[in-house]
Amino acid sequence: MSEDLLRIDDLHVAFSTRRGMVEAVRGVTLTVKAGEMLGLVGESGSGKSVTGFATTRLLDAAGRVTGGKILFRGQDVTKLRGDDLRQLQGAAMSMIFQNPRAALNPIRAIGLQIADAILTHKRISKEAARAEALDLLRAVQIRDPEQRMNAYPHELSGGMCQRVMIAIAISCNPALLIADEPTTGLDVTTQKVVMDLLADIAAARGMATILITHDLGLAARYCRRIAVMERGRIVEEASPGKLFSARQHAYTRRLVAASPTATSRIEDLVTEEERERYNAVLDKPRPVLPHGTPPLLEVRKLAKRFDQGSAAVADFSMTMAGGESVGLVGESGSGKSTTSRMICRLIDPSEGDIVFDGQSIGHVASRDFHRSPLRKDIQMVFQDPNESLNPRFTAFDCIAHPLMRLDGMRTGEALRQRVEECAQRVGLPLDLLPRFPHQLSGGQKARVGIARAIACRPRLLVLDEPTAALDVSVQAVVLQLLDRLRRENDIALLFVSHDLNVVRMLCDRTIVLRNGGIVEQGESRALFDNPKTDYTRKLVEAIPHIETGPTLAAAL
Amino acid sequence: MLSYILRRIVATLPVMAIVALFVFSLLYIAPGDPAVVIAGDQASPEDVERIRQSLGLNRPFLVQFGSWVWRILHGDLGTSIFTNLPVSAMIGQRLGPTLSLMIVTLLLTIVVAVPLGVVAAWKAGSLIDRVIMGFAVFGFSLPVFVVGYMLAYVFALELEWLPVQGYTPLAQGFWPWLENLILPAIALGCVYIALVARITRAAMLEVLQQDYVRTAKAKGLGQGGILFIHALKNAAVPIVTVIGIGIALLIGGAVVTESVFAIPGLGRLTIDAILRRDYPVIQGIVLLFSFVYVLVNLMIDVVYTLVDPRIRY
Repeated sequence: MSEDLLRIDDLHVAFSTRRGMVEAVRGVTLTVKAGEMLGLVGESGSGKSVTGFATTRLLDAAGRVTGGKILFRGQDVTKLRGDDLRQLQGAAMSMIFQNPRAALNPIRAIGLQIADAILTHKRISKEAARAEALDLLRAVQIRDPEQRMNAYPHELSGGMCQRVMIAIAISCNPALLIADEPTTGLDVTTQKVVMDLLADIAAARGMATILITHDLGLAARYCRRIAVMERGRIVEEASPGKLFSARQHAYTRRLVAASPTATSRIEDLVTEEERERYNAVLDKPRPVLPHGTPPLLEVRKLAKRFDQGSAAVADFSMTMAGGESVGLVGESGSGKSTTSRMICRLIDPSEGDIVFDGQSIGHVASRDFHRSPLRKDIQMVFQDPNESLNPRFTAFDCIAHPLMRLDGMRTGEALRQRVEECAQRVGLPLDLLPRFPHQLSGGQKARVGIARAIACRPRLLVLDEPTAALDVSVQAVVLQLLDRLRRENDIALLFVSHDLNVVRMLCDRTIVLRNGGIVEQGESRALFDNPKTDYTRKLVEAIPHIETGPTLAAAL
Repeated sequence: MLSYILRRIVATLPVMAIVALFVFSLLYIAPGDPAVVIAGDQASPEDVERIRQSLGLNRPFLVQFGSWVWRILHGDLGTSIFTNLPVSAMIGQRLGPTLSLMIVTLLLTIVVAVPLGVVAAWKAGSLIDRVIMGFAVFGFSLPVFVVGYMLAYVFALELEWLPVQGYTPLAQGFWPWLENLILPAIALGCVYIALVARITRAAMLEVLQQDYVRTAKAKGLGQGGILFIHALKNAAVPIVTVIGIGIALLIGGAVVTESVFAIPGLGRLTIDAILRRDYPVIQGIVLLFSFVYVLVNLMIDVVYTLVDPRIRY
């Protein structure tokens, strides 16, 4: 068909690894028409990014197209070499990457980086290229473009860096733009701004776009057609409305079921691994605390100032009861991570006090807090399970270490029993304990991180974006696990996240932070259903939902 | 920027003070009476006493150190015991050849080693990579004097392309000057080239895996642009560090190289001074080398800030 801009025909891609060849893409067939936006959705390892990289010919040296064709304007991209290929890359076909800050050269001014792309494909003077780069910065709505031309990536926010990436990608007016997780890692509000910009530019310039994402809601919001990938194959392809109302394939159904929506409850998430154990504790009554019980945690007028700068957090007060779950939400830079780290006593507050179980701990220097008997009671689960586990520690060591340090347990039978008990509680199979982090999946690593945190039987768990790096189906399992632990042991959860859907499900109460101060707080459902401030409303509206029913039908 | 350099210079003062103390103590660290050590085995007790008096060795250690530092601050490095010439004049005479040798070796190293490392990283795992890294191991393993004599034998004695030994000052023409330095520079540079090539390869391999290199590729940039404009500058910090550290290697190697090729430089002066136990000369040379090394480190730090805008000063 001549009207197809891109036709991928039975594409196979394999990677050579230590254990031989591994097929990442196994027979993908799809078409993209000029000017349309196609969503390519799937979980990590589904081969969606590999398909994108194969199309733009940016596969790692280990990856190879082992079969099939990629026809771009009738020309097989997989057979192009040398100059023919370079004339295509960045000119007719371009790409935007995940993690924009890493995708820009850290020691080259952004104006030059945009001009690089222009000068590669057009025979114009450096001054003319610079002028074009400036126009592009205006097109992607960067403020003070003249000054920003000379800025370096580390001087810009993540959202700004992604705009610069978009400017580079559109610099030669490509016919096809492939956006690989363009907004993963950005705030919901920034995500909306960047995606709106991208959609507007694509529409104005008539670019076809492939949006590669793990977020069904995001794809549903911006694409007319969505292809769902699983294990290297496309399992379903339909319009969003069809996909969500009458989903055909079992995998799509599972994916949709695991995705949190505006109304879903934590018990609604369909998971296979946690379901039974979770149901068992669902009906356990919450212990009724006698009236006048002092709160487990009381934070009074907490403030943090870093060198010279203005306050990162100011006048932050809150209380938490035992077994309660509280969400802390806000955009990046709102001070939510700083606050959680102060409460966890990993950094020292500049002002204010933290009272835990009647004892003031705000004035114990953070570097001495490990000697406090309360260290056991306050534990933390970190954002990225890949980065926060020591790569040279086995899962067993990771869980045993806090027990040895804080519970005075040495080696031997007692320690082994405690570690195994922790592993069982978080649903980590015991035969995985001798493994190293790189031998575990993302979900298993998250479980190790949680098992480590609960090993010393803490009363307060501080969780900093614990599911941000996980696939939705794994996220669902981890959320149910956390809620189960809370119900079983009355562990209080302080949950820091920018994912409002998750916070709404998991937390009794929510505190909204902006620029280091509390904007709004209250019971989660009420707060999200009826936001009182514009800021909260903006946050809530920016979440892409999987909308089934009338809203979507009206849009189509 | 200027205030950064000034601050760094002030910060090097304590380092120089410790170096000075160490250099001065050399004489006392050696076992026995310094005056006897200097006078040598055949000296009569009168000779020893005369040396003791003339050098002021009968005064307390700290007083001696104080007056020594005071003289150095006034540019007086003392007088050679053997030749009775001022040490600063002796060093001044010999500085030219050594400085020439070091600069030529440094340039040769950068021009040869960095491109080799870049190519090895670009073609990592290929035959070219393995050949380059094989040469690097070879360069590491061969002592300077072996390489020196081999080069002199092949290129000077057999082929007669270049002079066997000696030195011609730059004032007598560029080519005569360079001609005499080529073989010594290759001999001295072998280890250095191997080291810098390996580090360049490692640093480039790291950088070539970064996302922004993929972005450069996605823009359609050619291989040269990717390697030299985007990747090499990002890999520069470790490379510059090793080139700087290597200057210490050069100083040590220059002593041997100058002996092999009969270059009348500081290396030869050092050996002569040690053999004659000419302590004022030894102290002067060690102090000079330490000073050069501190200066090189300062320059490296300045280069860092020029290469990477994220490094603050």
